[in-house]
Amino acid sequence: MKRILNTGIWLFVSALFLVAHPLLAEKTQPVKINTAAIQVEMIQSDEVKLPAEFQVVLYENLIRQLEKIGFSQVYRDGDRSAANVADLVVLHSTVRGFKAGSERAREVTTVAGATSITVHCQFTRPDGTSLLEQDVNGKVRFFGGNLRATHDFAKKAAHVANENFSTPGIK
Amino acid sequence: MTVSVRRALRTVALFGAVVVISGVNAQQSPTVVKVVQLTGLPRVKQDAKGKLSVENGNLHFTSGKTVSDVSASSILDVVTGSDSQKAVGKTIGMLSMAAPYGGGRMVSLFRKKIDTLTVQYLDADGGLHGAIFTMPVGSADVIKKDLVAQGAHTTAPPEPTASAVANASSPSPNKEQK
Repeated sequence: MKRILNTGIWLFVSALFLVAHPLLAEKTQPVKINTAAIQVEMIQSDEVKLPAEFQVVLYENLIRQLEKIGFSQVYRDGDRSAANVADLVVLHSTVRGFKAGSERAREVTTVAGATSITVHCQFTRPDGTSLLEQDVNGKVRFFGGNLRATHDFAKKAAHVANENFSTPGIK
Repeated sequence: MTVSVRRALRTVALFGAVVVISGVNAQQSPTVVKVVQLTGLPRVKQDAKGKLSVENGNLHFTSGKTVSDVSASSILDVVTGSDSQKAVGKTIGMLSMAAPYGGGRMVSLFRKKIDTLTVQYLDADGGLHGAIFTMPVGSADVIKKDLVAQGAHTTAPPEPTASAVANASSPSPNKEQK
């Protein structure tokens, strides 16, 4: 009887280990790529027809959020002072999907009229070597104007950068 | 008789000169538009209300004590568009949402049309900036024309703004879907 109990306990502990190990492994942080600064290129929207104000707000919000999370140096598209920076990362963003939505429909119905935008973000070195690629989306479902979707996107994109890159400014 | 004729001629000449001078002054004074700067100008807060004009080759924005100038020659692109915003203010609009039986949502149905002006420009280091303004219907095209006349570049031909879009049957990509 005692032997059966011992075997049961061992089986339980083994099963627990087998289940817990992959779960714990998932929580380990990915190795961050060292970078001194990041340069944000203007948002491209060749495939998707995007209003000019969306394109500009996406770009400006992205820069603001990257500065907010702690990147010490965030360079704008075309900034000549970025040319001499070592370990520079360049962020290219291309709009893959856009649904304009309607603020009026959102506020009247609360279920319809969501605005969404999907942007393909590619982090590269200045020579074009790809470091990371990921699709990031932004949405506004309930309150706020359509441009608020760009704020949601910028926060998520900055979070992706924060998780994968380390600079002197980011802990 | 001769004296009275001379007096009359002088008066007419004086009146004519005043009319001509005031006309010249009116042409020289820049158009000032009340706008909301959504984002993009250095040292200016988001959603700052102020006045926008094109003076001495600069896009000039003032909001209280804050002043921001962008040289027209550094502007790569000027695009006008149309949008709409709530007719009832933010606080009252939010409070009305608490009205019983969803009555407050009726307030959201009332919206007013506005023009948007999107400007892309370069700073001293060659870095690209983008600024967006909202303004009363019909103002964006005036500012755009003034900017282009003073050296700004534009990739888009003059676009129909809210007033023109209202009359047109085809939907504009910049117009919010209702």
